[in-house]
Amino acid sequence: MNPRTDHRPGLRRRDVFGLAAAASVPVLSACSSSSSEAGSTEDLTFWDMPWGGTQYTRTAEDLVNSYPAPSGLAGAQYQGLQWANYYQTFSSAIASDTGPAVSSGGGFQAFQFAQQGAIHYADDLIGTLRENGTYDDFLPGTMDAMQTGSGYAAVPWQIDIRVLTVRRSLLEEAGTEVPTDWASFLEAGRALQRIGVAGYGTATGAGANIGSQGVVSFMINNGGGFFNEQGEPDCVTDRNIESLEFFNQMAAEGIINPRAVAYTTGNLDDDWQNRRVGMGITVPSLASGLGESGDDLQVISPLASPNGDKGTLYYINNLMMYQNTPSEEASEAFLRWYLDNMSTYWTEGVIESIPVRQSIVDTPEYQSDANKVRAANEWQPVGKTLAARGEEVFAELNAVDGGQDLITFAQRAIQGQTDPRANLEAMQAAIESVV
Amino acid sequence: MVALVAPSVVLLLLLNGFPLVYAAVQSLRDGNLLQAGPYVGLDNFARAFQDPVFWRAARFTLLFTAVGVFGSWAIGLGIALLLRGSVPGARVFKVLLLLPWVVPVVVSSTSWNWLVATSSSPVPVLASALGFENVLFLADPTMAAITVCVFKVWISFPFMMLMSSAALTGVDSTVYEAARVDGASSIQQFTRITLPLIAPSTYISWILMTIFCVNDFPTIYLLTGGGPVGETTSLVVLAYRVVFQDFQTGYGVAIAFLMTAVLVVASVWLYRSIRRATV
Repeated sequence: MNPRTDHRPGLRRRDVFGLAAAASVPVLSACSSSSSEAGSTEDLTFWDMPWGGTQYTRTAEDLVNSYPAPSGLAGAQYQGLQWANYYQTFSSAIASDTGPAVSSGGGFQAFQFAQQGAIHYADDLIGTLRENGTYDDFLPGTMDAMQTGSGYAAVPWQIDIRVLTVRRSLLEEAGTEVPTDWASFLEAGRALQRIGVAGYGTATGAGANIGSQGVVSFMINNGGGFFNEQGEPDCVTDRNIESLEFFNQMAAEGIINPRAVAYTTGNLDDDWQNRRVGMGITVPSLASGLGESGDDLQVISPLASPNGDKGTLYYINNLMMYQNTPSEEASEAFLRWYLDNMSTYWTEGVIESIPVRQSIVDTPEYQSDANKVRAANEWQPVGKTLAARGEEVFAELNAVDGGQDLITFAQRAIQGQTDPRANLEAMQAAIESVV
Repeated sequence: MVALVAPSVVLLLLLNGFPLVYAAVQSLRDGNLLQAGPYVGLDNFARAFQDPVFWRAARFTLLFTAVGVFGSWAIGLGIALLLRGSVPGARVFKVLLLLPWVVPVVVSSTSWNWLVATSSSPVPVLASALGFENVLFLADPTMAAITVCVFKVWISFPFMMLMSSAALTGVDSTVYEAARVDGASSIQQFTRITLPLIAPSTYISWILMTIFCVNDFPTIYLLTGGGPVGETTSLVVLAYRVVFQDFQTGYGVAIAFLMTAVLVVASVWLYRSIRRATV
């Protein structure tokens, strides 16, 4: 996932310095030796962030503590981190050889640390998964997204995807249908605007990233993206211009609330809860995040763009192994076991994102949520990473994803007052400066 | 004697000097959070001077600081003057007026967001009732800058009130009595007696508030995130973003050093003013 993602209960960021300092004590003791010899019995440390509500961390800790280490190999210790400044925590720990042996991480984290030479590539582990058939259980494209020129930087474990959610009762009140393409989306937006509701709810204010993710989702939906097939920055394309013109039109017609440019996630949640928003790009679990039951908030099928394309933005979050480990063999053994037992997060309902394994999607617990099922069945297959139109994820995407330039780009888009070409040219220059 | 204080001096130098020297080294390199990167000389500083984003942030920092210092000083001094007389409950008022300064900025920024952010927030509703339709307090660039500055004044005036109150208690009341006997008006007493006599304290409070404003990260970041479209991004917010969001440590640290240099110059100038005022 994008660790700065919004609309996720339990993901409010807090100051992590104290926790990081506290965490460094056991980590120091656990990782003071960087021996890679097999057979070491020193526990390896697994660092993990709160990917769900408060129950998630308890479940994760219980899961890791129940790891039955194979004979002669190290056990595992769970270390929870908050999202706040998580990257700085990882960076400083890895730089001082006090980082974890294995960790979960944001969509581009593994690629950044791989570039720094801190990652133990997962090729051997994935080779084992191929041999025992587990590999085939992973959703299409998820494993490929982990590949770099030097090997697999990580293994996928869940997908944080952007979907289109509508409040059905408002659409009915506005006398309009669930949209299926951009034209009908615009029509529905106009109808909602006429009854005093924002047709497209979004937020690009302090700490809110759903707005920029929404703009990028529409660009990808239209077959666009910031990069070309070779992975080079290529923002100023006809498809991208067309997407931003669509946003300009929505802004001009009042379908986007002009205040949204300064909205925080809390402001947007408030609007969703108080029926001031009819449609918007969200996470699949918006309803549960807002504490709503029933099917009024509904994830709809991907829109067809004017060119007939479909798509959205997603982050394939992953699990990575590090060079600094008591034993590489132990890291791989633990991760292999973890991948086979992580279904508990979904069966216990402590995580909201899409699993990467079909066997978990097929569980009755997952199938009981229609929005999540639609996200997995209809949106995941058309999802693309921030590297779109390219295929290979790379380290610098982290700076693009969290950088201020993307926020500014999105703010200009939803304000609708900037020429699309000029906005894209500015974004092209910004990406070129970090890539 | 030297041997006795030496360990403390060395410790202080290490604690204060090492991070500063390390940061200076970083500003001369093109690195990230993990690696120091190649040596680039003064390129990061040159880049700042050529970067329109830097200059826009510098302009907003200047505005934010000027409004923050003089706005909070004017209000703080005004209230201190009002409460100097025999106002019933003056002490209680002073304590209550301290609240904006005392309350953590995380809480107050959330409150201000609630007050102004959405169309159903109290201030836009009130503005609408007064005939000002659709005022975008945080979404319009100009209004966002005004809102951030007003917020800064609101959280800062209690500090200025305290400083002014302390200075005013040091002014001998017989000076005013003599002035009144000589026929001085209230305005003349204020401009010819009060202001000159509290000038040293005023300059100190200006120095402190200038440092508070230039280095103020949370007030801006929590309320607007530096937006919309970067219009309320100050230099310290820009430095944070460049280092921790764009991962360009060298450039970010260079911005911070430039900021510090300006602060030092401003502080020295104000400090000299204090000395002149006290001679």
